[in-house]
Amino acid sequence: MLYGEIPPTLGNCTSLETLGLAYCRLNGTIPPQLGNLRQLKLLTFQNNSLSGPIPDQLAQCTRIQVISLNDNMLEGEIPSFIGEFSALKTLNLANNCLKGEIPADIGNVRSLNHLYLFGNRLTGNIPYELNQLSQLQILDASSNNLSGPMNISPDHLISLEFLVISSNFLQGEIPKDFCSRNSSLRNLFLAGNQLTGTINGLLSCTSLQSLDLSNNSLTGSIPHAIDQLTELVNLALHNNSLTGPIPHQIGNLTNLEILSLYHNHLTDSIPVEIGKLKRLALLFLYENQMSGTIPAELTNCTSLQEVDFFGNHFSGTIPDQIGNLKNLIVLQLRENDLSGPIPPSLGYCNSLQQLALADNSLTGSLPDTFGFLTELNLITLYNNSLAGDLPRSLLGLKNLSIINLSHNKFSGTVEPLTGSDLLTVFDLTNNSFSGQIPLELFKSRNLTRIRLGHNQLTGPIPSQVGLLHQLVSLDLSDNDLTGEMPLSLSNCKGLTHLLLNGNRLSGYIPSWVFRDLVSLGELDLSSNNFSGDIPKEIGNCSALIKLSLYNNKLTGPIPVEIRKLTLLNVLNLQKNKLSGPVPPEIQQCKKLYELRLSENLLTGPIPSELSSLTELQVILDLSYNDLSGQIPDTLGNLLKLERLNLSFNQLQGALPDSLVRLTSLHRLNLSSNLLQGEIPLALSSFPQNSFSGNNLCGVPMGPCSDPPVSKGKHLSKAEVEGIIVAIVLVSAIVCVALMYIMARIWSNWREVSVSTSDCEESNSKRWVGNGDKIQASKYRKLGPTSTRVGSSEEKHSWGSDTSVLRMKNDAAC
Amino acid sequence: MASSSLLISLASCLLFLAVSPALASNSEGEALCAFKSRLSDPNNVLQSWDQSLVNPCTWFHVTCDSQNRVIRLDLGNSNITGTLGPELGRLQHLQYLELYRNSFMGKIPEELGNLKNLVSMDLYENQLEGEIPKSLSKLKSLRFMRLNNNKLTGSIPRELVTLSNLKVLDFSNNDLCGTIPVDGPFSTFPPESFENNKRLNGPELLGLASYDFGC
Repeated sequence: MLYGEIPPTLGNCTSLETLGLAYCRLNGTIPPQLGNLRQLKLLTFQNNSLSGPIPDQLAQCTRIQVISLNDNMLEGEIPSFIGEFSALKTLNLANNCLKGEIPADIGNVRSLNHLYLFGNRLTGNIPYELNQLSQLQILDASSNNLSGPMNISPDHLISLEFLVISSNFLQGEIPKDFCSRNSSLRNLFLAGNQLTGTINGLLSCTSLQSLDLSNNSLTGSIPHAIDQLTELVNLALHNNSLTGPIPHQIGNLTNLEILSLYHNHLTDSIPVEIGKLKRLALLFLYENQMSGTIPAELTNCTSLQEVDFFGNHFSGTIPDQIGNLKNLIVLQLRENDLSGPIPPSLGYCNSLQQLALADNSLTGSLPDTFGFLTELNLITLYNNSLAGDLPRSLLGLKNLSIINLSHNKFSGTVEPLTGSDLLTVFDLTNNSFSGQIPLELFKSRNLTRIRLGHNQLTGPIPSQVGLLHQLVSLDLSDNDLTGEMPLSLSNCKGLTHLLLNGNRLSGYIPSWVFRDLVSLGELDLSSNNFSGDIPKEIGNCSALIKLSLYNNKLTGPIPVEIRKLTLLNVLNLQKNKLSGPVPPEIQQCKKLYELRLSENLLTGPIPSELSSLTELQVILDLSYNDLSGQIPDTLGNLLKLERLNLSFNQLQGALPDSLVRLTSLHRLNLSSNLLQGEIPLALSSFPQNSFSGNNLCGVPMGPCSDPPVSKGKHLSKAEVEGIIVAIVLVSAIVCVALMYIMARIWSNWREVSVSTSDCEESNSKRWVGNGDKIQASKYRKLGPTSTRVGSSEEKHSWGSDTSVLRMKNDAAC
Repeated sequence: MASSSLLISLASCLLFLAVSPALASNSEGEALCAFKSRLSDPNNVLQSWDQSLVNPCTWFHVTCDSQNRVIRLDLGNSNITGTLGPELGRLQHLQYLELYRNSFMGKIPEELGNLKNLVSMDLYENQLEGEIPKSLSKLKSLRFMRLNNNKLTGSIPRELVTLSNLKVLDFSNNDLCGTIPVDGPFSTFPPESFENNKRLNGPELLGLASYDFGC
């Protein structure tokens, strides 16, 4: 294969008529000396690595007929001298780095048959002069940055067969009567532009075989007269904003093979005439708003290979005769309102590879005939009401890779689904499957996901699970599994989700869980019978994001190593027998938004360090422990906290003032402690049971009979109101004065500003203006003053809107 | 020769056939995947974002409510580089958008104004630039808006004064200009929320100077 640069001396071969150096490894630029080749008819340099511009000297090769420079790295603009090549038939500059506009002079090359400009960086409008190219058969300018209106008119370009301007920025509407009566335009590709208006203008292009207007902003409906396009084989109108029904005239397009209308706003039902489309192979109607039943006539379209109706409102049953579609490879009916049973004839679509009927209201059981779907690699039936035992015949499905039957009412054993050794995803969550986890499942060594949660499975977790080295997610939660965690599970080092909660598993939480499963992001062992200490090795699992061990019989302290879990969002150790202090080290878990340590035997104070958990939002629950001391003042830093439960401890002292800063709080429970003193006004909108079982007074509890002398800050409501009024009045006066003064400063300052356009002064200096420090301090005073007014005013509205929230959340806390 | 060119052209037309069935479509998961595609994630924190799953609720750093709707996106301090895209505006039920301390660049998409349930928008300590979109004034549930330590420019949109639930706001350490609003919740924010914006000129003087004076 030739490589290196094109020698300039080639320019000496002045009799050369053909120069072909295509598909080599040439680099460098095109030598200008080639302009000496006056006899040149054919110049083909395509598929090299040539760079630089197209040299001006080539203008002298006036006899040239074919120029192929495509698939190089040519730069610069398309030279306008090309307009003088009166014999040029083919110009191929595709897939280079050419920029600038398409020169209008190309319109002078009346001999041009083929013009390829795709895959460059051309900009500007398509020159109207191109319409003079009456010999032009192919024009492909796709994948550029062309803009402006659709200037090309097949009305003038009578020879044009291929018109491809996809993936540009064309705007405006498709011109009326786009084609002339005898247009030879067979292929029109305008996908991926910004075209608007209707498609009606194209109905005159009666020779069209392929029409792709997808990914534009077209509106209006699909015209009834679409059947004028009798030659149409491929019709793609997806990703537009088309409305209305599919006209029944679509049935007259008997050559149609691809009909892709997805992601529009189409309504109404599928016309029964669709059954006339014997050649139809692809029918994509997904993500529209179509309704009605799927017509039985659809099953006459026996060439169908892929049917996708996802995300519509189709109702009724799947047609009984669906089994007629012997060529069907993909059937996607997810997210519709289909009901009734799955027709047994579906089992005769024995080319079927992908079957997705999820998110419907299908009932009945899986037909025996499914055993014939031996090509099937994906079956997703989740979120239906399918029931009954699985047919044994499913064991014959040896190609299954993805199974998702979750959220149905299937019962019996899961064994019939374990016939394939190719399984990667096995999701049967939320059914009524019973019996033990079959060992056959573990023959599929490529399994990445096993999800069997919310069933009635019994027996142990099979030790064979350790054979699945690809396993990422193991969810066996909410079953009736017994025994200990099998040691072999430590082989599944890639596990990120391990959910064994809600079983009857027992024994210690093994330390290898934290030593070997270091990829774990979610570990849920809650609601089992685990006992013993939480292993100190927990610190190794630094990828943990959710850790839930609640409702077990765990003893000992909360290990301080928990500080290494810096990614933790959720920590739930509720309802165990954990003792010792709340470790202050927990402050390192800065991303915690939910922290539950309630219903344990924790002692000591609430560490003030908890205040650095500023992302805490869902809840901070320390209730039902033996915590003592005061509520730390710093707790007021938890600005995002929505629920705070410190009830049933031995907390004492007054409520810290800082609690009023918890403006996100809508559930508060401090009941049954040893707290005393007055409830801050800002907390008075919480109900009595937030505070009961203490010695607290003030709204909502009884009045404080003996106002505490030491707390002179606390004022009666009337006094507060009086002060507020005074502050408002004083502020108003200060404001007016200040505005006057500042306005004067501003006017001075405008001049300063103009003269020093590049502002390097410090922020505070600028606010001060001409060094007027008195004014600056007044401004700063104004800030906090108005803060106080604002926040006391807002308490009322806040109180009322949070009570609504509280009603909503009553059940939650 | 000409026929080989025709083949090239036809290959480009095959885009036509690149339509594929929507086997794994779910809009919030799609939006998140579209977001992921903009990001460089050297620490692999987005590894679990697998669009083949029924919904994004088992993905790490994504939290759903009981109806499997995404309510939290927690990617704070995750060493992520990239841009925020309009697709984030499709997470209709999002309450917490925690993207602080990363290297997000480019503009804050105006589509974030569609997040009607958003409570917290923490985009601080990134490299965001451009203006604060006016559309954020549609976020009526917003309580926390921290955009500090970015490279934001332009004036503070006056429309933000209508965010009556706003409790914490931090625009400090940007390159904002004009004056600071004084109405609505802005009456409660301390000067520290605005400091270190060289061209930001103190509180607004209603009627006396235009709010974008000095911009």
